[in-house]
Amino acid sequence: MTLLDFARGPALYWSTLIMVCGLVWRLAGVALLPFRPDRSAAGPQSRGRVRGALGTIVSRSLPRRTFLARTFATVVVGYAMHLGLLIILLGGAPHILLVAQATGLSWPSLPKGVVALASAVTLVTLVFVLVRRCTHPVLRLLSNFDDFLSIVLTLVPVATGILLAEETVLPYRTLLTWHILSVEAMMIWLPFGKLSHVVFVFAGRAVSGAKLGKRGATT
Amino acid sequence: MKPRDTLGQKLAGYGISRRALLKFAAAAATSLALPPGVAPAIAESLSGARRQSLIWLSFQDCTGCLESLTRSDAPGIERLIFDFISLDYQETLMAAAGAAADETLVRAARDNHGKYLLAIDGSVPTAEGGVHSMVGGRTNMDMLAELAEGAAAVLAIGTCAAYGGIPKAAPNPTSAVGIADLVKEKPIVNIPGCPPIPEVLTGVLVNFLTFGRLPDLDDLGRPLAYFGTTIHDQCYRRPYYDQGKFAHSFDDEGARQGWCLFELGCKGPTTRNACASLKWNGGTSFPIQSGHGCLGCSEPDFWDKGSFYTSLSGGEGPPWDAVGGAAAVGLGIGGAAAFAARRSRAAVDRQLAKEWQRDHGATATSKTEEDGP
Amino acid sequence: MSGMPPSLAPAAKPGAKPATRRVAESRDQADRARLDAAMRGFISDFGPEAAVYMEACLHCGQCAEACQFYVETGDPKYTPIWKIEPFKQAYSREMGPFAPFFRAFGLTPKVTLGELEGWQELLYDSCNMCGRCSLVCPAGIDIADLVEKARHGMFEAGLVPGDYLGALAGKEQETGNPFGISREDVRRALLEIGRSHGVEMHVDEPRAAVVPTVSSIDLKMYPASIAATARVLNHVGASWSFRTDGFDADNVSLTAGDRTGQRLVTEAIVDAATRCGAEVLIMPECGHSYTEMRWEAANTVGHALPFRVLHMSEYLAECLDAGRLKLRPVTPDPEGRGVTFHDPCQLSRRSGRSDAPRKVMAALGLDLHELADHGADSWCCGGGGGVALINRARPLRDKAFAIKRRQVADTGAGTVIVSCTGCRQTFEHGFKDAGGETGVGSLLDLVAGQLEEDGKTP
Repeated sequence: MTLLDFARGPALYWSTLIMVCGLVWRLAGVALLPFRPDRSAAGPQSRGRVRGALGTIVSRSLPRRTFLARTFATVVVGYAMHLGLLIILLGGAPHILLVAQATGLSWPSLPKGVVALASAVTLVTLVFVLVRRCTHPVLRLLSNFDDFLSIVLTLVPVATGILLAEETVLPYRTLLTWHILSVEAMMIWLPFGKLSHVVFVFAGRAVSGAKLGKRGATT
Repeated sequence: MKPRDTLGQKLAGYGISRRALLKFAAAAATSLALPPGVAPAIAESLSGARRQSLIWLSFQDCTGCLESLTRSDAPGIERLIFDFISLDYQETLMAAAGAAADETLVRAARDNHGKYLLAIDGSVPTAEGGVHSMVGGRTNMDMLAELAEGAAAVLAIGTCAAYGGIPKAAPNPTSAVGIADLVKEKPIVNIPGCPPIPEVLTGVLVNFLTFGRLPDLDDLGRPLAYFGTTIHDQCYRRPYYDQGKFAHSFDDEGARQGWCLFELGCKGPTTRNACASLKWNGGTSFPIQSGHGCLGCSEPDFWDKGSFYTSLSGGEGPPWDAVGGAAAVGLGIGGAAAFAARRSRAAVDRQLAKEWQRDHGATATSKTEEDGP
Repeated sequence: MSGMPPSLAPAAKPGAKPATRRVAESRDQADRARLDAAMRGFISDFGPEAAVYMEACLHCGQCAEACQFYVETGDPKYTPIWKIEPFKQAYSREMGPFAPFFRAFGLTPKVTLGELEGWQELLYDSCNMCGRCSLVCPAGIDIADLVEKARHGMFEAGLVPGDYLGALAGKEQETGNPFGISREDVRRALLEIGRSHGVEMHVDEPRAAVVPTVSSIDLKMYPASIAATARVLNHVGASWSFRTDGFDADNVSLTAGDRTGQRLVTEAIVDAATRCGAEVLIMPECGHSYTEMRWEAANTVGHALPFRVLHMSEYLAECLDAGRLKLRPVTPDPEGRGVTFHDPCQLSRRSGRSDAPRKVMAALGLDLHELADHGADSWCCGGGGGVALINRARPLRDKAFAIKRRQVADTGAGTVIVSCTGCRQTFEHGFKDAGGETGVGSLLDLVAGQLEEDGKTP
C-alpha cells in the first residue's frame, strides 16, 4: 500500500470517524451538563429564546459599527480567510467531485482562476494571522500551542492545495498525498482544539443569543 | 563461447547506416532525458558495444509482457537492439527444449557469471515453498535465488515481476510477491506496466550498454526518465480537467467532445508511466486517447484499488454506519464526561453545603424574622 | 439540609444571628485548600451555557478592543477573556469534556495561589461586568457572566479585595446593606428625608402596590434622589411604600462574588415585596442590582416572581404612556449646549431598555445630543461591577473614564444625564479628578423637578 492509498483509504476513514466522534463527544460533554431553567419574566421587547438564538447566529457574523474601528484588521482578515476557505471548499472542482462521489450532490464549480485567487488570499491571510499572533501583544498573551497548531493545520492543506492545483515544485502524486494527509490531520485535530469553533462559535452565539433575546437586548 | 561482434557491425549487416544509428541515439537520449549532446557518445558506445548476455525467466505470468515486447509492427532500430543482446535463455522463444534448454541456462549462467542481466516477467509464488510455479522440477524461488546471485543486475519486467501484479491481488492464494521482495543484494530495475511499454526496456538497455550502469530510479525502483511524471500531467486532455470539463458517462456529450475522464475513474493522476508521451503501437494511441480512463496498471496493487470506474477523489461513498457508530461512541464518552462533571459538581455542592452549615448553623433552618410591621 | 448547596438552602434572614465572615475566615485556610475552594466556587454553578462559553473562545482578542480598561491603558493583561484564564484552565481540567486527558497528561498547569492573587486586580479592579466584550465576541461568549462566576471562585478562596469590597459584603449579610445601617436607622433616615424635603414619605406600610428600593449610597450622598422617588410616586398616585426589610438594592455581595450574601439580599427584597402584595418592584437607578433582580431573582428563589421588576426609568416611561405622569418641559439652558445621556450598561446593553430613559427625556423636552457610542454600544463609565467601591482602583478607573470624558466633550453638551447611582458617582469623581466642569444630573431628580402638579408648583 502506497502512502497515497493509505491517505485515501484507512486514513480518510479513520480521520472522519475521529472527527465525528470527537465533535459529538465534546458537544455531549457540554450539552448534558445539568440545565437550569430560566424562571425570569421575558422583557417587553423580548424576541424569545429561539429567535434570539437564531438571530445571534447570523448577527454576530456581521461586525458592529461601534467596534469596527478597533477590530478592523481582525474582521477583514477573518472575512477574507473564511470566505476564501468557503470558495475553495465549495467552488473547487475536485472538492465538488469529492462531495458528489460521497453524497450524490453536485453543483457547478467556480472557474479555476477564482479558486486560485481565493486560495492565494487565504494563504496570505493565514500567514498574516500567524505573524500577528506572534506579534500583537494581546494575541501573544492569549495564544497557546493549540492556537498555533490549529492555524498551521489549516495553512498546510491550503498550501499543498495551491501547489497541487498549480502543478509546481513536486510531482502531482506526492502533493496529492500530502494534501489529503494534511486535511486528515486537520480533521483529526478539529474536535479537540480551537478548530472546533466550526461548531462552538455557533453554539456560543445561540446560548447568549437565547439569553439576550429573551431579555429583548441587543445581540 | 561465441565470437562477439559489435552492434555497429551487426547493424551494417542489416543495411542500417551510421546516420540512422545516430538518429536512434538522439531519440534514445531524449527518451532517457539526457542532453542532446550525448547522442553521438551514445551512438559511439552502442556501435562499439559488445553483445550483452541476457537471461530471461518467465515466472507466474500470462506471457503478455513478452508479447508486448516482441510484438513487431515495423522493425525499427530499437527492435534490432534486441538482436544485439545475446538472449541466452528464454523458455518461450528459444528453440531448445527439455534437458537441452536447462543445459543452455546452466552454461549461460556459468560463462557470464557476474556479468549477465537477469530479466524476469511474472511474479514469484512463495506459498507452500513456492510449488505453485515450477520449471523443470525447480521452483521459481530457487531459480531466482540462484540466478540472481550471478547477475550484474535484475530487470523486473511487467507489474507482476515488479510488484506482484495480478497474481498478488487479494486474496493472493499463492502468496505471490515481486522480485524486489526476494532479491535484496542486486540492483533491480522495475519496468512495471500490464504490459510494460517496449521502448522503456529498450531505453534501459541502451543506458546499460552505453554507460555501463542502470538509469536513475524513483522510490519504487522505476527509471525516472519514464516514470517521473504522471499520465495526468502529460495527458492531452489535461486542459479539460483544469477547466472542470468532464465526461460523466462513456456516451455523453463530454465523452464525445473528448473531455477529461477523471469522473469515469481515470487513474491518470496517480499513475506514473510514459503512455501519454510514448504511446503504444508505434506511437499510435494510448487508452485515454481511445476514450477509456487509465487503469493505473503500472502502479503497485492496482487491481485492489477499487473499481476502475470510481473516480479518484471519491471512494464508495461515506461509511454511514461507521460514522453513526462514531457519533454514538462520542455521545457515550461525552455523556460519561458530563456525568462525571455532574458528580464532581455535586460533590462540590455537598462540600460547600457542609461548610455553610458549619458557619451558619441552626439559623439557616429556622425563620427568626417575622413579617414586617 | 445537608447535601444542599448554600445557594439552594433556605437562607438566613438579614437581622438574624450575625453570619461569620467567610472572607476573614478563609484567610487562614491553607493555600491548597483555598485554591481548591476557588476552582470549586467557579465550577459549581456551571451549566451547559457557561461550558459552551468555555469551549468557544477563539483567542481572537477582539474583546480587548471593546474593553475600556484595555483601550485606555493598552495593557494586554486587561483583555477580558484573559481575566478568567486561571478558571478556564480549571474548567478544562475539572469539568470539560476532555477533563480526564487534561488531568492525566497535565495539559494545563495547575494554577498557584500566587497567580490567583495576581488575578484579583484583573477580576475586581479592572472589570465592570459591563458586557461590552460579550457584545463584540464572535463566539457569543458572555464574558461578563464568566467574570461573575470567577468572582465566586475568588470569594471562596478569600481573594476578594478584602479591605473594602469583602467588608462591605460582610456587613451586607448582617444588615442587608453594605454600610451596616440598622433597619431602625434606615426608617428614621427616610422619614427625615421626607420631612426635610417636604414630601410625604411611606415607610413599611403593610400593603403597597409599588415597592421602590434604593441604593444606600443615596441615603448618604443623594438624599434628594430618595425624596424624588417619593415625590414621583406620590404624583402618579401609586399605593407605595419603602420597606426597611427589603430596602437596599446594592447587592455588593453579588459584585464581591459571595453567593450566600447575594442570595440573602435578593431574598430579603423578594420577601418584603411579596409580603406587602406588591405588583411592581422598582429598582433604583443602579446597575447590577437591576439585572440581578430582573433576570436572576426568580432563579435564585426558585419560582417566578409574583410582581414585576422595573428599573426606575422603565417605571417612569410606563407612567408617561399611561398618562399618569405629567411633565413640564425643562427650560433650555441659556448657552443652548443641550444635554447628553449615559446609558447604564445593565439597563441598555444587558437588558435592552435603552428606549425607556429616552422616552422620559423626550417628555422633558431635553435637547439630547447622543454620545458617539450610545444605547447597547455605550462605554461603561468604569465604576460598575463594584469597581467604584475599590479605593486602590481609582487611578485605573479614572484612566478608563477618559474615553467617556472624550465622548461627552465631543457632544458639546453641558450636562450628562445619568440614570444609575453608581454611574453618577463615577462621573462626578471622574470629572472632578480630570478638572472638568461638565455637570452630572440624575434623570429621576430631573423628572421630580418637572412634575405638573395640577396647577401647584412643586
